[in-house]
Amino acid sequence: MIADRKLAKKGGGWLLERPEGIFTPEDFDDTVREIIKTTRTFVEREYQPVAERLEHGELELNVPLMRKAGEQGLLGIEVPEEYGGLDLSKTISTVVAEELSPTGGFSVTYGAHTSIGTLPLVYFGTPEQKAKYLPKLASGEWIAAYCLTEPGNGSDALAAKTKAVLSEDGKHYVLNGTKMWISNAGFAHLFTVFAKIDGEKFTAFLVERDTPGLSFGAEEKKMGIKASSTRMVILEDVKVPVENVLGTIGKGHQIAFNVLNVGRYKLGAGAIGGAKHALALSAKYAKERVAFGKPIAHFGLIQHKLAEMATRIYAGESATYRTVGLIDEALQGKSGTEAVLAGIEEYAIEASIIKVLGSEVLDYCVDEGVQIHGGYGYSAEYPIERAYRDSRINRIFEGTNEINRLLIPGMLLRRAMKGELPLVDAATRLQKELLEPSFDQPDDLELAQIDNLKKLVLMTSGLAALKYTTKIEEEQEILATAADILIDIYAAESMLLRSRRLGGGVYADMTTLYLYQALDRAQSAALGVLPRLAEGDEMRVMASAVRRLTKHEPTDLVDLRRRIAQKVLEAEGYPQPRA
Amino acid sequence: MKFVAVIRQVPDSESRLKIDAGRVDLSSATLILDQMDEYAVEEVIRLQEKHGGESVIVALGPERFEEAVRTALAMGADRAIHLVQEGYLDPITQAEALAEALRAEAPDVVLTGGQQADWDSQALGPAIAEALGWPVVTWTTALELEDGQARAKHDLDEGAEVVRVSLPAVFTTQQGLNEPRYPTLPGIMKAKKKEIRKIPISAASKVEVLEQSIQERSRLGKVLDGTKDPHAAASELIRLLHEEAKVI
Ligand SMILES: Cc1cc2nc3c(=O)[nH]c(=O)nc-3n(C[C@H](O)[C@H](O)[C@H](O)COP(=O)(O)OP(=O)(O)OC[C@H]3O[C@@H](n4cnc5c(N)ncnc54)[C@H](O)[C@@H]3O)c2cc1C
Repeated sequence: MIADRKLAKKGGGWLLERPEGIFTPEDFDDTVREIIKTTRTFVEREYQPVAERLEHGELELNVPLMRKAGEQGLLGIEVPEEYGGLDLSKTISTVVAEELSPTGGFSVTYGAHTSIGTLPLVYFGTPEQKAKYLPKLASGEWIAAYCLTEPGNGSDALAAKTKAVLSEDGKHYVLNGTKMWISNAGFAHLFTVFAKIDGEKFTAFLVERDTPGLSFGAEEKKMGIKASSTRMVILEDVKVPVENVLGTIGKGHQIAFNVLNVGRYKLGAGAIGGAKHALALSAKYAKERVAFGKPIAHFGLIQHKLAEMATRIYAGESATYRTVGLIDEALQGKSGTEAVLAGIEEYAIEASIIKVLGSEVLDYCVDEGVQIHGGYGYSAEYPIERAYRDSRINRIFEGTNEINRLLIPGMLLRRAMKGELPLVDAATRLQKELLEPSFDQPDDLELAQIDNLKKLVLMTSGLAALKYTTKIEEEQEILATAADILIDIYAAESMLLRSRRLGGGVYADMTTLYLYQALDRAQSAALGVLPRLAEGDEMRVMASAVRRLTKHEPTDLVDLRRRIAQKVLEAEGYPQPRA
Repeated sequence: MKFVAVIRQVPDSESRLKIDAGRVDLSSATLILDQMDEYAVEEVIRLQEKHGGESVIVALGPERFEEAVRTALAMGADRAIHLVQEGYLDPITQAEALAEALRAEAPDVVLTGGQQADWDSQALGPAIAEALGWPVVTWTTALELEDGQARAKHDLDEGAEVVRVSLPAVFTTQQGLNEPRYPTLPGIMKAKKKEIRKIPISAASKVEVLEQSIQERSRLGKVLDGTKDPHAAASELIRLLHEEAKVI
């Protein structure tokens, strides 16, 4: 679409330019594969034997398990070498998140420690703070927690009421307030607490567990991830030495949000790992369970579910590793705060996309997984039951899916306004093109369909931006519509580019299935907001453009799904491409 | 002292193998370090930890074996020698080629799996010993070195035996010899820098594989009707499990 080749590598740039190639799991090197194996062995040998007890309230078992994870090197992946870590790639931390995900609650303990717990220090700590705490966190001697949410505000984190006041001698800040839903609170040693200095300057503080004035609520009684500890953290006149201010005073939001960005793509990866687990359980069950004299895997409606699950996993997996590849490339040779800006903030849009996509793929897979198990899926004797309960939190934490949906187009618009992404130019050019449509048959239909979806989203967002200008934030439904189309574009494009490398087969089938449905969804969603954006003749011209841009031929989806299901049944789970 | 583990890469016992034109098709199988060889790797690392010296991995097999060799290095062995040859070689031919490399290394102890998971053979260890003219202790469950000799416990069909053997000697592993560690992330990173010396060889197999097939284990599909007399059905189930399936 646009000639500048660098655009495709920028966050959000894919909307304007198709990348030539993307990073995929088939690009994993031997080291990554070896680390995947070690993580699996960790789950089998260390986690499985205590899984039942952890799940039934013995939360303190998280602590030795984390130490063991530390011994294996699993806690130091993103910690610099000079502080006892390994300083490995984001690809590695992501595959580990994916592999640990079937452990449910323990994966939350692990994620809260390694991502939101440890990364604030890695990216924003002073050398003294890093030297003091990071070696302990990398070894698992200490466990970390991240305290942003409060009883009265979660999504609106900047509305925090927790206050910090400098002591008269200037040596301490005195913190008062309550933090809610804090993962690892039951056993963490180090808490990153966000508070407002003098009720104004949003700032992060490093608070040690045994600081007087720090206390904890009872364990929350949760729907799922029961093996994780979640408690209220209460701060009453907690004296924090001034050396323990993390980052710049008044810039706490930079820490809070960037750390969440990392949390988000890892959550997406974890969700995909969980979804693969659910699909494996379901495919095996479907082959074994007999009804009406046949294994239920024989039935079309069961195959339909298996095919949909695999297709969505393929979408989530392709989008996740594409992004992680971009981040690793951008992080080459960078560290600390610079790395955050270059690699993590740059791909905040993609991180939100992966968070929403992954958590919704997982919810779909566990839901249909329970359905495939019938009554047995409703029994705690079967692992799919726990998978179902463990899944639900993913749409809520690390920014609810609503908040992330709003962020996706919101960030794109902001970058357009700042001139970082030439979206306005593209939208203007598109206007002309839409008025003089070409009816040539494209050489590559599926690529053209994805380009069309890009045009569609540019067109609708362009109209919305013109009409609502600065009030666009109040049109949440329109923003979420744009977000849904953007998610589908990013997923479908990632699937398609990967399938081409994989040489077609089931991967091409899954791409076709996903793209077909994405076009349908986009058409329905766009037509559903169009009358708010335009009137009369303009509306009618736009409506026919929407139909043209989402056009597709009738396709035998039954046959497509049956073929995909066969591959799922053969593989007894997600047909993982071989490198 | 020098300790060598001879290792092989085999399909994971959990992966489902396909037969294609009378040949096992490994393209969709997960390939791993043979679990019986894992005991050997663990043991050479432990011997080195205790007695000092060097732990070395020796493998004979196609290029793809390198992954298993790296795993062994990631567990902690110092370096590796990989005799590279594609295609099938019978254990005796393998042992002859391995013996040549081993003689050059002149280790005190050679360990290898008590059994090779893929060929279901127990020949490799004894054949290596034979080719070297060294003593062999099979199915080893305990190994200790003292004054240039080894004290080893090894399994017999219905019991065990403790033997003393002069070094150098070959030992084959048995479950229980140790609890193999698995690679740590730092171990994996270090292994990338460890030496794997590749030596192409061209040995002629004395045995040629003509055809391979996979045993299909069909299920009995026996269903007991418990609607009329559940007690009788339960007793029958117990009898079948006890007498026929022999699982209880
Ligand atoms: C098990 C668990 C573990 C957690 N761990 C941690 C942790 O370790 N550290 C931490 O700081 N927090 C943690 N959280 C908190 C979590 O991040 C918040 O619950 C989450 O951000 C949502 O905030 P809330 O619960 O206050 O919901 P609210 O913000 O009250 O939202 C309620 C609903 O309103 C919607 N909504 C809110 N604002 C808007 C808007 N502007 N537009 C449209 N819809 C909106 C939301 O999407 C949601 O559907 C955890 C929560 C749970 C349940």
